[in-house]
Amino acid sequence: MTDDAVPELDPVIHAQARLRVVSSLSTLREGDSIAFPRLQDILRMTPGNLSVHLRKLEDAGYVEVVKTHQGRTPATLVSLTRRGRLAFEDYTTAVRALLNGGAGTEQS
Amino acid sequence: MNEDDEAPLDPAESLRVIERERSATARRIIPDPRLLLWPWGIAWLVGFTVYFLRFGPGGRVIVDMPEWLPLVLLLVLIFIAGTITGFVGGRAARQVSGPTSRQGRMYGWTWGLAFSGMITVLSRISELLPTAQATLLWTGTMTALTGALHMAGGAIWNDRTMFRLGAWLSVVNVVGVVLGPGWHALVVAVAGGGGMLVAGLISWLRLTHVGDGERARP
Repeated sequence: MTDDAVPELDPVIHAQARLRVVSSLSTLREGDSIAFPRLQDILRMTPGNLSVHLRKLEDAGYVEVVKTHQGRTPATLVSLTRRGRLAFEDYTTAVRALLNGGAGTEQS
Repeated sequence: MNEDDEAPLDPAESLRVIERERSATARRIIPDPRLLLWPWGIAWLVGFTVYFLRFGPGGRVIVDMPEWLPLVLLLVLIFIAGTITGFVGGRAARQVSGPTSRQGRMYGWTWGLAFSGMITVLSRISELLPTAQATLLWTGTMTALTGALHMAGGAIWNDRTMFRLGAWLSVVNVVGVVLGPGWHALVVAVAGGGGMLVAGLISWLRLTHVGDGERARP
């Protein structure tokens, strides 16, 4: 592998669980957010596990977690920030580049 | 560290994860088009066919039944379809908040208010008309409004299938009105109701096609 040709992969996203979270959130339209239990259900993760990864994504500024009320019931809404969306796009582009450009340098 | 923190094995694996999660999520948060369109398709198909059988062309009664039955049946079917659509839409709105659900709510209110306005106007006029013309006025206006709202919905969500369905309903309605009382009910039942069933099927096939990557998972 040649280091100069290989684009760097964002370590915050380049982890199985967080890649799944960000991919899922990327399907929401900008400005939309999804309820925590719903996201957990779609990703089939435990609440604790999902919280841990959301915290890391939040720390990086990629995800916003808002606690609010829908009527009388408290709700936690999760959304991808603009920065998170850009990071996800960059990550996808980098992975595609690795797959196409780096195909010759890696064993396949 | 968490086991899940492990990085995906390679870029190809990463892309597979991205595609899988995106299609899985899309299929879970986008309401099933069959639930949105088929209840209406069935309501129109059955409701207007019964109308045709009772108020046939030239005032012919093809199947004898009380004069009030077709309207009551149609209203019941429409009520059921509206309840299903409202339930499905409401469930989608509880899961995702923001501009998308706001748009959905506005669109729902548009239907409700537009139809209330139509009903208010027509009920003042239709009592002055003979039954056949009154029926044509109601069903013709209702179909025109439904067609227009579907076209507008297609424009809002950039949804070609929805727009085409609206355009189809609008054209079919004009054809039916030109053919006259009796025939209009049959045309709207078969072409209108059938069009909704087909549109629901097409939209659903599109949606499941997006999820093909997901099904490849063992």
